[in-house]
Amino acid sequence: MLQIDRIVGSRLDEGYSERLHDLEHHGAVEWLMLAAAELARRRFRAVTSGGTEIAVALPRDETLFDGAVLLFEQHRAIVVRVDAERWLRLGVRDMAVALELGYHVGNLHWRVRFEATAICVALEGPAEAYLARLAALGLDDRIEVAAPEAGSAPC
Amino acid sequence: MNGPMAMPLDETFPRSIAARVGIGGPVGSGKTALIEALIPVLQARGVDLAVVTNDLVTREDAERLRRSGLIDPLRVLAVEAGACPHTVIREDPTLNMAAGDDLELRFPGLELILFESGGDNLASTFSLDLVDWWIFVIDVAGGDDIPRKKGPGVLRCDLLVINKQDLAPHVGVNLVQMEADALKVRSNRPVVITDSRRSAGIDAVADRIVRAVLFR
Repeated sequence: MLQIDRIVGSRLDEGYSERLHDLEHHGAVEWLMLAAAELARRRFRAVTSGGTEIAVALPRDETLFDGAVLLFEQHRAIVVRVDAERWLRLGVRDMAVALELGYHVGNLHWRVRFEATAICVALEGPAEAYLARLAALGLDDRIEVAAPEAGSAPC
Repeated sequence: MNGPMAMPLDETFPRSIAARVGIGGPVGSGKTALIEALIPVLQARGVDLAVVTNDLVTREDAERLRRSGLIDPLRVLAVEAGACPHTVIREDPTLNMAAGDDLELRFPGLELILFESGGDNLASTFSLDLVDWWIFVIDVAGGDDIPRKKGPGVLRCDLLVINKQDLAPHVGVNLVQMEADALKVRSNRPVVITDSRRSAGIDAVADRIVRAVLFR
């Protein structure tokens, strides 16, 4: 198992971008696919797109990000690629519903972003599970739900 | 944060980066008992470990572990949450992070820190800023419908422990169904059945910890 104990750079760094591009052409870049919610992890096992088993153990002051270069060798690189975050848009029609919805999503500790007339929830599981919670709170027929889109702007 | 320290700080010694594992769950589910059972099993595997406990306004759990004889009392630190226990493991875990940093500084070679949350509800979860991996403990006496309630703690933890398996026949719980329900709501992510008092299932929990964050 390959031990990764630091982030060596970003794929956007001048020193890496061109060379990574070359390695990609030779199929020599392995991707570590991570969900956005998992970026905060600093110590875990994983398998890259190339099948390499890795053990990541980063210092506590380092945080993974999309494009983090974990390994750079002459004939191989390992780079983090983050799955697009999915957002569930919950539109509201009036202030009373907005207040009630805001109260409940706070209690549920969902990660949210706001727009003028909607709350967007970052999905860390099936959208159905989130909608079931709202139904149990009697909110489902008072909000407008927009299906989540991967990679779309949150709001 | 409270607790005696093992030795003067030696900033010249390379600092440890210990793996950090959270153990949360409802009041009375057996979090402290799980830690008491894990300590000798992990020590027997050569794991250099310490513990941080969280209580609401006391140091009850820390004192229990210090008196247990299982671990050097200096390796047990207490954090008093002073509020809902989840606040110091999720919203603002800085007190616990500082306790972990302290232990790493004081015990060079430290490999693992167990963070025991104060007893909380099924919505309790750990921040990944604090821990690398976390366990949620429920028990059969709490009712076999707990997994079906899909609390965030049950759903999101890296390992779900169902403790007090020995009590199942006494409280009318179908443990096989409870485990099946737990696996279903967790999309088959790991579940371990334990009886911490008798050390049943503890090796399986230790196996998971050692594999996940110590890479052995």
